[in-house]
Amino acid sequence: MAVRRGVLRRLAAHPTGRAGLLLTGALIAAVLVGPLVIEHSPTAIDLARKLRAPDGANLLGTDQFGRDQLARVLEGGRRSLGAAALVMVGAMGISLTIGVTAGMAGRLLDAVAMRVVDVLLALPGLILALAVVGVLGPSFTNLMLAMVISSWAYYARLARSYVLAARQRGDIMAARMAGIGWPRIVAGHIVPAVATQLIVVATLDLGGVIVAIASLSFLGLGVQPPDAEWGAMLSESRLFFSTAPWLLAAPATAILLAVTAANLIGDALRDVAAPGREGTG
Amino acid sequence: MRGTLRVVAARLGQGLAAALGASVLVWALLPLAPGDPARRVLQARGIGDPQPVEIEAARVELGLDQPLPVQYARWLGRAVRGDLSESYESGQPVLEELRTRLPATALLAVTAIAIAGLGALPAALLAAAYRGRWPDALLRGLSLVGAALPAFLVGLFALQVVVLGRGWGRALSDGSPGQVWLPALVLALARIADWSRLLRASLLESLESGFILVSVARGARRLRVLVRHALPNALLPFLTAVGVGVGALLGGTPIVEAVFTWPGIGSYVVSAINARDLPVIQGFAALAAMAYVATSVAVDVLGGLLDPRTRKAKT
Repeated sequence: MAVRRGVLRRLAAHPTGRAGLLLTGALIAAVLVGPLVIEHSPTAIDLARKLRAPDGANLLGTDQFGRDQLARVLEGGRRSLGAAALVMVGAMGISLTIGVTAGMAGRLLDAVAMRVVDVLLALPGLILALAVVGVLGPSFTNLMLAMVISSWAYYARLARSYVLAARQRGDIMAARMAGIGWPRIVAGHIVPAVATQLIVVATLDLGGVIVAIASLSFLGLGVQPPDAEWGAMLSESRLFFSTAPWLLAAPATAILLAVTAANLIGDALRDVAAPGREGTG
Repeated sequence: MRGTLRVVAARLGQGLAAALGASVLVWALLPLAPGDPARRVLQARGIGDPQPVEIEAARVELGLDQPLPVQYARWLGRAVRGDLSESYESGQPVLEELRTRLPATALLAVTAIAIAGLGALPAALLAAAYRGRWPDALLRGLSLVGAALPAFLVGLFALQVVVLGRGWGRALSDGSPGQVWLPALVLALARIADWSRLLRASLLESLESGFILVSVARGARRLRVLVRHALPNALLPFLTAVGVGVGALLGGTPIVEAVFTWPGIGSYVVSAINARDLPVIQGFAALAAMAYVATSVAVDVLGGLLDPRTRKAKT
C-alpha cells in the first residue's frame, strides 16, 4: 500500500508524469462527464443533418447518418478506455494467479504452468488475438477476451520471477522463522508486492493495448455498428477523407491523445519506479 | 557448429509445440463459436435455404457429428500430412489458399524489415554521435511520435495523401514489388522508432567500455569510432531486439494489408474471420506459430554468427 501511494506521489512530481496524469485525468473526465452534458445521442440518426462540418449545433460535425461526432467520440472513448482497463485487469488477475501459483507451488505445477506460458509466448499477440476472435466471432466482448488471452502469458512469466525474488527477501524469511504460515505470507506480503510490480509493467503496455483495441475494431473485428468506437469510426469514415475530414480527425486525435497520455505515464514510471536501470535517456 | 545445430533443433521443436498449442487453443474455443458450420458451407455452395436433411448430410460430410476431440484428432492427422482441410467459403484446400497469398505477405514483411533496419541504423548512429545535441533530440521526439501512432492510422493517412492525393502508387494493390514501398514503410515505422532508440542505447553503452575511450582520446572522429568499434559490439543486443521486433512486425501485417488492400495472408485471414471460415483460422494459427518461431530462430542464428565472442568460443 505504502509503495503504491509513494509511486503516485513521485509520478506527480516528475514533469513527464505530471503531464501524463493531467492528460489522463482530462480524458477520463471528458469521457465520463461529457455524455451527461451533451444532448445528442451517439446513435441517433438524423439524415437531414448528415455530413455537416463542425458548427454550433454539432461541435465536431456529423457523419453520413447525421450522428453527432462529439457524442460518438466520447462514447467511443468510454468503450476504448474501459475496454483497455478491463483487459489489463483481466490479464493482471490471471497472470498474478498463475504466476504466484507457479512460484510458490511444487516443481511439477511450476513446470506445467511455464510450458503453457512458453507456448502462448511463441505466438505474436495480434495473431493470437485474431485466431481467438476468428473462432468466437467478431464482437466487442470477444475482442476483449481475445486480448486477455493473448497478453496474460507475458505477465505470468514476470509475476513468477517476482515471486521467486520475493521468497528470498529478508522480511519474508524472518516471518517464516517467526512461524507465520505460508498462506498469510503469500496473501499479505508476496501478492501485494508482486501485484505492484506487475501494475508498473502493465502501465507501460497500456498505450499498446489501446492501439490494439482500435486496430482490431478498425478491421471490423470488435465493436459492431452502430456502436461507437474510435477504430471503427475511422474505418467507417474512410470514404469521406477528402469530403468530410472532420470525421477522421476527431477519432484519430482521440487515439493519439490517449496513447500519448499512457506513454507519458509509462515513461515517467520507468524513471520513478526503476531508477538507474535503463540508460536510454 | 554442433552447439548451434542443437539449439536450432530445440527451437524448431519449440515451434512445433507452439503450433500444436495454438491449434489446441483454437479448437478448445470451438464450443463457444456461434453459428452452424454445416449451414454456412451449404450457403457458400449456393444452397440459400438448406433443408434439415441437407444440413444433416453436410454435418456428416464435414465430420461435425463426431465429438470434438475426435474432430481435432482427425484435423491433426491431416495437418501433419500437410493437409489443412478445406475452406468453408471457397471449398479449396486451406493450404493452397494460404500458399498463393504467402508471396505477397513475405514481400511486404521482408521489405518492411529491411526498411526498418536500414532506417534505424543511420538514425541511431547519428543520435549516438551527436548525443545531447539536436539530432539526438530530434530522434527522441520522432521515435516518441512514431511509437504513439497506430499503424492503421498512418496507413490510412498515407494512402489518402500519397496515393489518392498525388497519384503515386495505386489505390487497390495487386501485391507487386512496385507498390510495396508504401505499405512496407508504414509497417516499418513503429520498428524504426523502437530499434533506433535501442541501438542508440547499445552504441552509447559500448562507447563507455575502456578501449573505446582510448580511441576517442586519440581524437578519432566520433562517427568513425562508433562505426568501427562500438557498432560491432552493439549489434548483438540489437539483433536480439530485432528478433522480438520481427514478431511485432509480423503481427502488424494484417492491419497494414487491410488498409492498403494488399492481397496477402493477413487480409485473407481478416475476411475469413468475418466469413466465419473456421478451417482457415485453424490452419492459419498453426502455420503462423511455426513461421514466427522459424524467423526467431533465423535471427538468433544470425546473431550467433555475427558475434565474435561465440565464434571464438567454438574454435
